[in-house]
Amino acid sequence: MKRFIHYDELARDSRFVRQTNLLATVLATLPDDVDKVVEAFWALDPMIGKSVKGTAAEPLYDAYGPAFALVALNEPLRADDPAVKTRLLMRMHGIFAGELQALEGAGRSLWDFPEAPWEFKMNMARQCWDEARHVQIYEKLLHHVGGKVGMFPETTFLFECACADDPAMRVAGVNRGLEGLACDVFRDMIRFADETEDEVMKQAIDYVLADELTHVRFGSEWVKEFTKDDPEYFKRTQEYQRQVDKQFSFGGSRSDRKDAAIPIARADRKEAGFTDEELDELAQLSGEGPSRKTMRAASKIMRERHRERQRKEREATA
Amino acid sequence: MTQSRMYPGTGPDEHTTFAPYSAFDIPADLRELYGRYDVEATARRVRNFRYAEEWMMMIMGGWLATIPELPVKTGLGKIIWETAQAADVLGRRLPELRCGRASVAVSESPNEGFAEFIQRAAEPESPDLTIEKLVGIFGVLKPHLVEVYERTMRETDQIADAPTIELLDDIVRKTRRHLAWGSDVLDTLADTDAKRERRRQRTETLRGLLETCGGVSGELAHA
Ligand SMILES: [Fe+2]
Ligand SMILES: [Fe+2]
Repeated sequence: MKRFIHYDELARDSRFVRQTNLLATVLATLPDDVDKVVEAFWALDPMIGKSVKGTAAEPLYDAYGPAFALVALNEPLRADDPAVKTRLLMRMHGIFAGELQALEGAGRSLWDFPEAPWEFKMNMARQCWDEARHVQIYEKLLHHVGGKVGMFPETTFLFECACADDPAMRVAGVNRGLEGLACDVFRDMIRFADETEDEVMKQAIDYVLADELTHVRFGSEWVKEFTKDDPEYFKRTQEYQRQVDKQFSFGGSRSDRKDAAIPIARADRKEAGFTDEELDELAQLSGEGPSRKTMRAASKIMRERHRERQRKEREATA
Repeated sequence: MTQSRMYPGTGPDEHTTFAPYSAFDIPADLRELYGRYDVEATARRVRNFRYAEEWMMMIMGGWLATIPELPVKTGLGKIIWETAQAADVLGRRLPELRCGRASVAVSESPNEGFAEFIQRAAEPESPDLTIEKLVGIFGVLKPHLVEVYERTMRETDQIADAPTIELLDDIVRKTRRHLAWGSDVLDTLADTDAKRERRRQRTETLRGLLETCGGVSGELAHA
């Protein structure tokens, strides 16, 4: 078995479809400018249209065009939102896929770095079990909220962004970047479960969040350990993590901004070994993307454009 | 009236009156001293066992990403952790066997043949090879380990080497659960004659390799 696999090689059963990772990468670089957001998303339209075919996202695409992902990602989960069910399903499915990739990432850390210290391997092995339980928990929760595995396309960008070929960068990417994002998302899910009085969801995710704190702590400790004799290496690792965090901020959807869909879980992250300085930096770099107002305006334009296109298509075939 | 003594005195008539039992009397304990392995031999075996457990854990970790069946991914997650724990307790036995404090993370293949066997078990990569992947660990290596661990438990000094026996006992208990899981999965996945034949062939090939090199302790041939 070779070391270091490409994200295309993540194995899935017949229920899954893939969505290219471009969307997330594009989101990370967008300015707060309606026209630029429209332009970027419209360019991805053929790819988005293709990947949603036959999935639960197809009706959303039909209704909103390529902006449906923006609508789902960028808006907070609120119990009184008429589209809350769809948003919840999309988020839950995204988390389920994220847990799968976290499981695969932890497993690959065991195989890709055979010379790593024993304690590191123990931590990664434990994480394999935890992530395996998380996959199971989210499969149950997905059913609990009326969804099913494979109902939306999966983007493998978590694995792509986080799985570096270098051990310090791997743990920075997976255990601090990806797992840190998990802390933010799960804290927000607990908030939502609380709001909707869903005790099953609240308790299960609370346990998952406790595990994730442990995984972030593994990351915090191993980045220090792997780079302890090489300040230059430490700096490069931090730089890498900043880039991962930027991508995992989805253009500001996950940030400290007032309009963020997913706030940064500061208290949880501090318990897991993030310093105030790091959290301030995260708040800064994640808050730079387009505002919700911009995203909404861009979504509206794209929706109109999409409808116009549908109308023309209908006329052409009539 | 003479009072019974609580502690022995220095004179011949100054014994206590407490009943004299052997350390093996309650409950009746028939264990005897002397086993097949001395300290060095047991330490070597523990390093060999650790080698197998550590590699299995790393190999299964690598496979998580390339196995498409969801319950296999999640089932392996737990087995990886338990296999790592097995390697960990084996390692922690080594300093107790005069191998030095730094020996906790030492693994050692008994010979080149066993190291080669491990690499062959790790070979399957493509997502359509779940059967070949699982056979190596659950059809060949883990069953072999259970056999060798149980023999070691029987043959080592039952009294002096009891810590090794105890830790192997725990590992065997969990490994048996892994075997039950593995054969359940393989029975389900190998659901056609062609797939059953793949399972059979893979088992035969790897078993042959394992026997040639003498297994995890290198001594299968002369056992
Ligand atoms: Fe997780
Ligand atoms: Fe995690």
